Amino acid sequence: MSGSEQAQRSEHRAEIAHLLAEVASGSRDAFERLYQRTSSKLFGVCLRLMPDRAEAEDVLQEVYVGIWHKAGQFDPARASPITWLAMIARNKAIDRLRAMPAASTQAPVEMAERAADPSASPLHDAEASNDSARLHWCMEQLDDRRRSLIRTAFFDGATYEELAARVGSPLGTVKSWIRRGLLQLRACLET
Amino acid sequence: MNSHAPDFDHDPGQEPPDADVLAGEYVLGVHDAAQRRRLQARIDAEPEFSQRVQAWEMRFAALIDEIAPSPVPPQLWPRVRTQLGWSPVEGARGGIWQSVSFWRGATALAVAAAVAAIFIGRLPRAPEPAPPPPRVVVQPPPVAPVETEIAKPVTTLAHDDGSPGWLASLDAANGRVTMVPVPARADAQGRVPELWLIPEGGAPRSLGLVSIDKAHSVTVPQALRAALKAGSTLAITLEPPGGAPKGIPTGPIIAKGSLQTI
Repeated sequence: MSGSEQAQRSEHRAEIAHLLAEVASGSRDAFERLYQRTSSKLFGVCLRLMPDRAEAEDVLQEVYVGIWHKAGQFDPARASPITWLAMIARNKAIDRLRAMPAASTQAPVEMAERAADPSASPLHDAEASNDSARLHWCMEQLDDRRRSLIRTAFFDGATYEELAARVGSPLGTVKSWIRRGLLQLRACLET
Repeated sequence: MNSHAPDFDHDPGQEPPDADVLAGEYVLGVHDAAQRRRLQARIDAEPEFSQRVQAWEMRFAALIDEIAPSPVPPQLWPRVRTQLGWSPVEGARGGIWQSVSFWRGATALAVAAAVAAIFIGRLPRAPEPAPPPPRVVVQPPPVAPVETEIAKPVTTLAHDDGSPGWLASLDAANGRVTMVPVPARADAQGRVPELWLIPEGGAPRSLGLVSIDKAHSVTVPQALRAALKAGSTLAITLEPPGGAPKGIPTGPIIAKGSLQTI
């Protein structure tokens, strides 16, 4: 990534953080600008997790209503604004998935690395190129099963039970793979 | 399972994970609904646990970057505003909202609705002038003579006591319904009105949320347009914020009316 791209990104981050602060103080204008700047990204997150567009739209609506009410909880010292917003969207989407009947959730087995090629989608919102490279490097260090399960859980919002059914392994085994994978990731990222 | 056990002092799949692993699992999203609710309560109650969750969110942030943005349908923003209890559109800004031909069109519509209300003779007070319908963004609205607007079917959606709740003005050709509410108080329980189209002998199909204090238009999905005819019913129910969760009405009907051709 070029230096100017990085400068653009940090400017973008600063702008979003600033808008969140204004939203926290009740500015509807800032809220509309925040929506314009971030909604397509958050919609991408919702679409990735939800089985259909109508559900994804409902989730996105809930997400922004939630952001209006809790913008004041954003702490720029502890999180990047885009990550904070995207995680709100992920959490809402996962809660919604959990409230749906199991049969209506998507079920393709993603043991192949379906979305594994990060170069396929531009990293416009990358937190910082080295954080991203670091996570990918650490993910690469996991054995294939752990990496695939963690990616599938993250991108499909699958539960332990769904993951176990998809890979045809006992629940306890799948839990153990993921938990060891998480511990290994944490250790790798902290070195 | 046991075949793996000898390699480790303990098996993390078999016993309760420690707080940090739980936080990681929560961010990954592998828990069921009940466990997520327990952990969400813990996030609210325990700052330390909440920090663990945030740390995992930052660790996984780079995966979010792999998800491509996607264009958001234009009606989403008015829906967000409506759910927040604001008017569906912000009328005070530039662009299309200040275009003369736009206002002429919108005013013609409002006049048509008001005239229809007088014609029906049950409306205690005239509705406010219609703000711009949220879906009309690109095309300038047709500057139709008022007579043409009146010719469209207008249906009163009445409360149980017969008093009008909404006027629905139908534009069947373009698959659009303009809803003009008789201003009312918001539901004390925070529920929101949702509009349903019920074909004769058929099941209710949602047309989305409607405002209680501002006129706006609703676009009818292509598949339902055939039902915009005499004999079908328009009804409004009270639903949780965001609308009926599974596309099936869950709350009481607060107003309804059957479609008639004038």
